Amino acid sequence: MDVFSSLMDGFATALTPMNFMYAVIGVILGTAVGVLPGLGPAMTVALLLPVTYALEPTSAFIMFAGIYYGGMYGGSTTSILLNTPGESSSVVTAIEGNKMAKAGRAAQALATAAIGSFVAGTIGTALLAVCAPIVVDFAVSLGAPSYFAIMVLALLAVTAVLGSSRLRGFASLGLGLAIGLVGLDVVTGQARLTFGVPLLADGLDIVVVAVAIFAVGEALWVAAHLRRNPLQVIPVGRPWMGKQDWKRSWKPWLRGTAYGFPFGALPAGGAEIPTFLSYVTEKRLSKHPEEFGKGAIEGVAGPEAANNAAAAGTLTPMLALGLPTNATAAVMLAAFTQYGIQPGPQLFESEGPLVWALIASLFIGNLLLLLINLPLAPMWAKLLQIPRPYLYAGILFFATLGAYSVNLQAFDLVLLLTLGALGFMMRRFGLPVLPLILGVILGPRIEKQLRQTLQLSAGDPAGLFSEPIAVVIYIIVGIILLWPLLFKLVRRNRPAAVVPGNGSVASVPREAGGSVSHGSHRADSPTEADGDGVDQEAAGTAIRDSVTHDKQNKETP
Amino acid sequence: MTIVVGYVPTPEGEAALTQAIAEARKSNTTLLVINSSKGDALVDNRYAQEPEIQSIEDRLATQGIQHVIKQPVRGHDAAAEVLDAAEEHNAELIVIGLRRRTPVGKLIMGSVSQRILLEADCPVLAVKAG
Amino acid sequence: MSSSPTLASRLKGRSELGVVLLLGAAGALVIADAARIVTPYSQSDPVGPKTLPFIVGGLLLVCAVFLAVNVLRGGQGEAEGGEDVDLTHPADWKTVLPLVGAFVANILLIDWAGWVISGTVLFWGSVWALGGRNYIRDGLISVALSLLTFYGFYLGLGINLPAGLLEGIL
Repeated sequence: MDVFSSLMDGFATALTPMNFMYAVIGVILGTAVGVLPGLGPAMTVALLLPVTYALEPTSAFIMFAGIYYGGMYGGSTTSILLNTPGESSSVVTAIEGNKMAKAGRAAQALATAAIGSFVAGTIGTALLAVCAPIVVDFAVSLGAPSYFAIMVLALLAVTAVLGSSRLRGFASLGLGLAIGLVGLDVVTGQARLTFGVPLLADGLDIVVVAVAIFAVGEALWVAAHLRRNPLQVIPVGRPWMGKQDWKRSWKPWLRGTAYGFPFGALPAGGAEIPTFLSYVTEKRLSKHPEEFGKGAIEGVAGPEAANNAAAAGTLTPMLALGLPTNATAAVMLAAFTQYGIQPGPQLFESEGPLVWALIASLFIGNLLLLLINLPLAPMWAKLLQIPRPYLYAGILFFATLGAYSVNLQAFDLVLLLTLGALGFMMRRFGLPVLPLILGVILGPRIEKQLRQTLQLSAGDPAGLFSEPIAVVIYIIVGIILLWPLLFKLVRRNRPAAVVPGNGSVASVPREAGGSVSHGSHRADSPTEADGDGVDQEAAGTAIRDSVTHDKQNKETP
Repeated sequence: MTIVVGYVPTPEGEAALTQAIAEARKSNTTLLVINSSKGDALVDNRYAQEPEIQSIEDRLATQGIQHVIKQPVRGHDAAAEVLDAAEEHNAELIVIGLRRRTPVGKLIMGSVSQRILLEADCPVLAVKAG
Repeated sequence: MSSSPTLASRLKGRSELGVVLLLGAAGALVIADAARIVTPYSQSDPVGPKTLPFIVGGLLLVCAVFLAVNVLRGGQGEAEGGEDVDLTHPADWKTVLPLVGAFVANILLIDWAGWVISGTVLFWGSVWALGGRNYIRDGLISVALSLLTFYGFYLGLGINLPAGLLEGIL
């Protein structure tokens, strides 16, 4: 029972008053940013990276973990009460959740989301505690070639599988790797891409890059496309559930957890696919299929659980292998390097107490989220009334502060603005930001691994394939890269092939967007066009266009 | 000639609307209902949504009052929108709802009703809730 | 001559070609920079500092070419949506440019005037750019935020932000 005793030690560390306080701060801050429009956990952790100068690593990571879990929670609150899913992972929750809220069942929707998140988060964290050491045992048995292959797999899988355009994903990855090259080469001391500027010799600080891409780029992007039509929150009291709701919720919670954790742990699993799978499963298994589309509680319980279990799953490769698979994990990994902690399979060995305290704090954070958020839901909704100028000015203000405090030189702010402009451009032209961040963080480590691997084989590239596991992984990489071609072949043979899950997920946000514009329907005719899917989206867009430019008039003779 | 009423979905707003309906009926003029938002926050509880507007619409229609409902979102504050509308339509009367404000609150937030009272070119009828 | 109008019409509305240029330039830069490096072959480091830059530069160039083809064939990147993003209207430069202006003002001021002043300018300027017109309240919040962060960083994190002109007062 080694895991158990380590975990108990972890609890002892995490429950010291100081660390407990940081868990509370993290959870509250996380929920707040999850609720607030335009802010997400990745950006918040990036903005908070300066605290790594003053805080103990344990306290800092406990706070970051709270922000991560809290952000998930806050995101579901807004998708239920407003139908504006902030993150792709809460899109599915919004479908039934918002319908429930409109039907006057907001309290039950919030309750099943909160309790489901707690159940899934707790089971997920337990699985993390059990699985991570097994993964570590496996990983330390691997040689340099296999580990190099795994890193390549993680990088390529995220780039090729997530996002709508693989080409743009690879472009983003290339830019990230190039940014990671800047500075003195660690082995030979050769300057690369420094252009003779001494300030670049140490490389671009990951804090500056993360803050620029996540905070400055985002703030500028949102500023260029501010939504003008105000929405109204569906009023809600304290969340609660009746006996019937419990009965209908507990199975979807468990099934959602079962979907979420493995997908979260996979290199390119993410939370979108499991939430969608969970939704489809619940729709099929439900005894009340007629309620789906009108506010079925199963459609909130399952996807919410899947979402949170995936969050726990994501932490498994992050802690066990040093491989982040989503934006928040990537920024947390950057925090490790800030402390000079080497992420990777050795982490459990070298920083055991820290890792176990972090895992223990996840259990605590989950419980805190439930205790704090059930009574506070109405208060969170009030945050949405903060005027946007303050919100986005605040993001820029703290981004500047964070980047400046790294080295106290104005030059970093120039970099911040330049990379922020890059982030803006990427959002404008559909280049995903995650591959870039992964490239910056993993690029230098991959290079180191590559050089170590080939050192053993005296430069012979065959050395990369010297271990069977490495070969297997390269085959997987090959399949991922060639997948579109294979898919086309399959399609050609079977014209009526089933539409892949990916395509259907992509259509969901459109539908949500269509109903967001609901408030502006009145500009047109009083007929309620409440159809589903693309037609409504088109109608919604057209109407929104006419409304944003001018006020709407309505005259009755 | 028209009567302009500044409407918000609160008790004060309802009181103002009720009073304005009575005035419009008395003088048999068009009623212009203004419900504006600066549009600077994701959520604005003072901006009425579809069902509320629909119910006002029905209420005015059944009472046989000629009316226009406007919901401008142009980044201006409510006072500016009401004053604009009053000027544009050559209003004979503005009806607004009043609520209690502390002096500090007024200093920081400014007072919409105070601005309308001071700057309007026509008589202003201020109503309290309840 | 006859191809020029078609080329012009092809380029119209293809601002995404700017991304192609950026990728191409970045790729060329990375390769040129790596080619400049001279290192003797070393037994302990057969890969050397040039290999990865060549791979990365190559990746960027290949992406640039494919993206150019994709864009000219009518491909388009999907602009990122969000809770608070309304993609139905075009980019609002009247908001973005003043925002960048406030940011640049902060860069120019921070070392000379100090964080409290430059931070106030940054926040107030950003609020103004984003449409805040409640000057007194905005000003109060700006000053309060700058002062709070100045002392917060000093006392909480042990980081001395520059005091600048207000040296001795703060």
